[in-house]
Amino acid sequence: MSIVLVGINHRTAPVEVRELLAFNDEACADGLRRLVDGEVLQEGLIVSTCNRVEILSATASDKLEFSTHLLAQFLDHQRRLPADFLKTHSYQHIDEQAVRHLFRVASSLDSMVVGEPQVLGQVRHAYAIAVEAGTAGRVLNRLIHHTFRVAKRVRSETGIAANAVSISYMAVELGKKIFESLKGRTVMLIGAGEMAELSARHLVNAGASRVIITNRTETAAQELADEFGGETVPFSDFPKFLGDADVVICSTGAESFVVTEKMTREALDTRRNKPTCLIDISVPRNIEPSTGKLPNVFLFDIDDLESVISSNIREREREAERAELIVQSEVMQFQQSLRLMDAGPTIGALRQKLQDMARTELQRQRKRLGQLSPDQEAAIEQLLISTVNKISHPVLDQMRRFYESSEPEEITPSADPLSGDEI
Amino acid sequence: MRSLLLAVLAAYLIAAIHSILAFVNKRRAVQRVAEWSMAVGFVLHTVALIADWVIDGHYPLFFLRETLSFLAWALVAVYALVLVRYRAQALGAFTMPLISILTFVALLDPGTKNSPAPFSATWLFPVHTTLLIFAYAAFFVVFVASIMYLLQERELKLKTFSAIFHRLPPLSTVNELATSAAALGLTLLTIGIATGMVWSSSRDGKIWHNDPKEIFAVLTWILYFSLILYRSTSNWRGRNAAWLGVLGFALVLCTFFGTRLLGGYHVFG
Repeated sequence: MSIVLVGINHRTAPVEVRELLAFNDEACADGLRRLVDGEVLQEGLIVSTCNRVEILSATASDKLEFSTHLLAQFLDHQRRLPADFLKTHSYQHIDEQAVRHLFRVASSLDSMVVGEPQVLGQVRHAYAIAVEAGTAGRVLNRLIHHTFRVAKRVRSETGIAANAVSISYMAVELGKKIFESLKGRTVMLIGAGEMAELSARHLVNAGASRVIITNRTETAAQELADEFGGETVPFSDFPKFLGDADVVICSTGAESFVVTEKMTREALDTRRNKPTCLIDISVPRNIEPSTGKLPNVFLFDIDDLESVISSNIREREREAERAELIVQSEVMQFQQSLRLMDAGPTIGALRQKLQDMARTELQRQRKRLGQLSPDQEAAIEQLLISTVNKISHPVLDQMRRFYESSEPEEITPSADPLSGDEI
Repeated sequence: MRSLLLAVLAAYLIAAIHSILAFVNKRRAVQRVAEWSMAVGFVLHTVALIADWVIDGHYPLFFLRETLSFLAWALVAVYALVLVRYRAQALGAFTMPLISILTFVALLDPGTKNSPAPFSATWLFPVHTTLLIFAYAAFFVVFVASIMYLLQERELKLKTFSAIFHRLPPLSTVNELATSAAALGLTLLTIGIATGMVWSSSRDGKIWHNDPKEIFAVLTWILYFSLILYRSTSNWRGRNAAWLGVLGFALVLCTFFGTRLLGGYHVFG
C-alpha cells in the first residue's frame, strides 16, 4: 500500500486560488465518496482550511502514478478549472514524503505561524468527515492516529508553542519578565475595549487579583468590572489610582496623551519605586513616550509588542528545528509499522498456504493409514499442522524481519513465493 | 589530593558546559545533567578538602591553591542554595565556568611540600577564613545577579528582545537574589572581620594594622552596608543597586588579592 498526498497551501498558492478550491464539510464528504472508488484509491481524506487544501489517499503500490494524476485532476475538476491550472501551485508527495508532510502540518510546522494551535483540530475534523464518508480505512486510521501522537509530542517536547504571538497575551509575558509572577498583582485598564478585555482576561488567568477599570463611559467600564470581579473608578480620578497598578493597559480612542509623564512620576512616588509595566495599544498613542525614561517604568507601545512577537517567532523557529528531528524519527517509525502491516497478511497467507499443502498431502497419503477413529483423525491432523507451523516459524520470522528492515521496493507482496515466481 | 581534584575538575567542567548549553538551548534535560554533575563534583570536592585537612595536618585554607580550591567549593555550595531557593538556573552559565577555572588554577599550583603547619593551635583560623570565603562567594552571586539584572533591564528599556531576553530570569527574581545574597554576604563578612580582629588581638594585642587586606575588607563592608541600606529605603532600587553590586565585587577582588600585590600584615606564607 502506498500513500499519496496532493495539495496547495499558503506558500504555493495565493488566497485567490485557495478560495477557489475550498471544500466545506459537505463538499468534502461528497468528493471523497466519488474519489475513493476502491479501484484505484482505497482510502481518502481531505483537509481544507483557509491556508491549505490537501487530499491524502491510500492506494495500491502499483497504481501510484495513476493515483497521483487522479488526485491532481480531481482538484482541477472540482471547481471546473482548466486542466493543469493548479500545476504550478500544487505539490505532490508519496509514501515517506507524504507521511512527513502530514506530520509536519499537524504539528503546525507548516503553518503561517509555527506553533499555532488550530491546525491539529482541523486535521481531526477532516478525519471525522472521512470516517463518516466511509473513506478512512486501515492505512489512514493508523496514519492519522500516529499523526495525533506526533503532534502531541512536538507540542510537549519542544517550545514551538511556548512564547505568545498574540498582542493580548503580551501583557502577561512582559509582566512575567518583570515581576516573575502575576499572582496578587493589580491591573489597571484605561479604556474598556476588546483588546483591553482580552489582555485583562489573560492577566487574571495568570493570577492578577485586582482589576481597576476606567473609561470615559461608565457603563462599558462597569460591564468589564462585572466580568472580572473588578472595580471601576471615574475617568477623571484615575491618576490617583495609577500608583496602585503593577500593569497598566491603555487603549482609549483619545487623540492626545491620557497618561502623562508627570502623572506617572507622581504615581511612582506612591509606589516607592516598584516597577510598573505600561502597555499602550492605542493608535495614536495614549501614554506620553517620555514616561518610558522614568526609572523602573517599562513602557511598550504597539510597535514594541510587534517586536516581541517577531522575537518570539524567531525563538519558535529555533524550536522548530528540534521538532523536525522528532518528526523525522516518527516518520521512520511509521514506515516500519506500515511495512509490518503489509507484511502481516502476506505472512499470514503464506502460513495458511503451507498448512493447506500439508492437508492436501495428508489426503493423498490417507489410504496408507488405514481405518482410524474420529479422535485419531483429529489428532493426526493436529500433529501435522503443528509440525508444519513449528518448521515454518523460523523461516516466516526471518521473512518478517526482512520486511521490517527493507525498503518497500524490494518487496513485492503480490508475488506468490511458493508458486515458483521470483520474490 | 591532586588526583581527586582532577576528578572534581572534570565534573565541574561537564557541569559548566551543560550549564552553558542549557542556557542557550533552554533544555531541561541538559540542565539536569549540569546539576547532577555539579553535585557529584561537590561531594568529591568535600572529600578532597577533608582528606587534605587530615593528611596535611592543617585547615585547607592557607596557601593559594588551597584558597582557590576552597573558594570554588564555597561557590558551588552557594550556587546550589540559589538553585534551590530561586530556580535561577541562568546563573550557572556564568558561575560554573568560573568555578572550573578556579579549580583548574588550584591544580596548577604545585604548592610547597614541607611548609610548617600554620596556626594549628587555634580555632579562629578556620572560622575567620571560612566565613570570609563564603562572604566572597555570596558577593559573587550579588555580582552575577546584578549583571543579569542590568542586561535584562536594558532589553526591556530599549525594547531589543534579543536571544538573551528569553533566557535571563525575570527582574524581580534577580533583584531579590541580589538583595538576599548581599545580606548574607554582609553578615558573614561582619563576623569574619570580627573574628579576625579577635584573633589578631590575641596574637599581638592589636586589632588593626593598616594592612591592605584589612583596609579593603572594611571598604567592602562599607559598600555592601550602604547597598543594603539603600535598598531598604525603597521598595525597589533596580539599576543603581545593580551597579553597586558590580562595583562591590571589584572591591571584593581587591580584598582577596590585595595582600599578594601589596604586602602587609596578612602575609603569612
